[in-house]
Amino acid sequence: MLVLAAEAGQVHLTSQTRIVAAVLALFFMLMILELIRRDRLQERYSVIWFIAGLGMLAGAAFPGLLEVVANLMGVRNTNVALFSIVLLLLLGLALNFSVIMSRQAAQITRLAQERAIEKALAEKRAEGANGNGASGEEPLEAKEQSL
Amino acid sequence: MRALVFIPAWNEEAAIAGVIADVRKAIPGADLLVVDDGSTDATAERAREAGALVASLPFNQGLGAALQTGYLYALRNGYDVCAHLDADGQHPAEEVARLLAEVTADRADLVIGSRYHAGAVAESGDYRPTFSRRIGTSVFRFFLTLATRQRFTDTTSGMRAANRRVMALFSQHYSPDFAEIESLQLAVRQGLRVEELPVRMLERAGGSSFLTPLRSAFFIFKGLVVLLVGQFRPRHVEAE
Repeated sequence: MLVLAAEAGQVHLTSQTRIVAAVLALFFMLMILELIRRDRLQERYSVIWFIAGLGMLAGAAFPGLLEVVANLMGVRNTNVALFSIVLLLLLGLALNFSVIMSRQAAQITRLAQERAIEKALAEKRAEGANGNGASGEEPLEAKEQSL
Repeated sequence: MRALVFIPAWNEEAAIAGVIADVRKAIPGADLLVVDDGSTDATAERAREAGALVASLPFNQGLGAALQTGYLYALRNGYDVCAHLDADGQHPAEEVARLLAEVTADRADLVIGSRYHAGAVAESGDYRPTFSRRIGTSVFRFFLTLATRQRFTDTTSGMRAANRRVMALFSQHYSPDFAEIESLQLAVRQGLRVEELPVRMLERAGGSSFLTPLRSAFFIFKGLVVLLVGQFRPRHVEAE
């Protein structure tokens, strides 16, 4: 947000906004480190956020960088360039999370299935151990006991 | 030939015992497994009382995951053939026995019980589809036929019998969102012999269908996306 606000001054960022943006970027990266330290964020998911923080820092340190990127994109207004870059980045991140979520959903499902099967098999074995030979025919008592 | 019949069940405490009894009577040689898909009612208890082995998923995962649990169980425990039917009492077990016989005789890898097939005769008390279901059915029928170049009439039938090749495939790849249609497409793409058999189905014994018009529309849309994507999926190499 503050980075965007700083951009309102177009190419000529005041040193004040640059300092604020840099401090914010540093604070952001420290926060990520702290989250990792407290086991609230896994390292493998932190890389992307570190890159984002470094990007913020670079933008604050070298305001000319954004202009170069805007020129490369063929966008005359650096504000538009900044917005588009941030938007695309967030879109990519959101998609990345959906992919991770799908994978984890599949893993959870498989885990649930494995557990259900294991439990059913254990139940079946317990039933056999109770000496109820004829499987399936008169297992009622055995099952009620196990309940 | 060892046969397993499994019944995916989600909150079907009213109907499950009847279905189990029906299966025991019509297919006495088969083992029975009820896959309880995280039911919040007494489905698992009723099933145990009725003498069935119950595999309970810890939370509701959807029909696809429940069916996959059954296929996985059948595969792991060395069953030669398996079959599944709905827990709501719509599927007569004697029809399931016919599907199993078809697979046992090795005339097909996967056999679908079709309620719309030309050979299925309507009797009183038999299944009659609602209007929105008929639309959905014909849409899916058209596109699945297009996708697989094989004629299917009942694409969403939950009454099926399968051999070990199908177990191996479905226990690995089974869409949790759109189990019935995608699995048919997948099986045909894998070069398995999929066959439809006309069967009788009954009206629901308890509970109500989850389909409202809006849901049906969404259901159809989702199904079409799944089919389209499925056409571009890589073919899997068989494990066995």
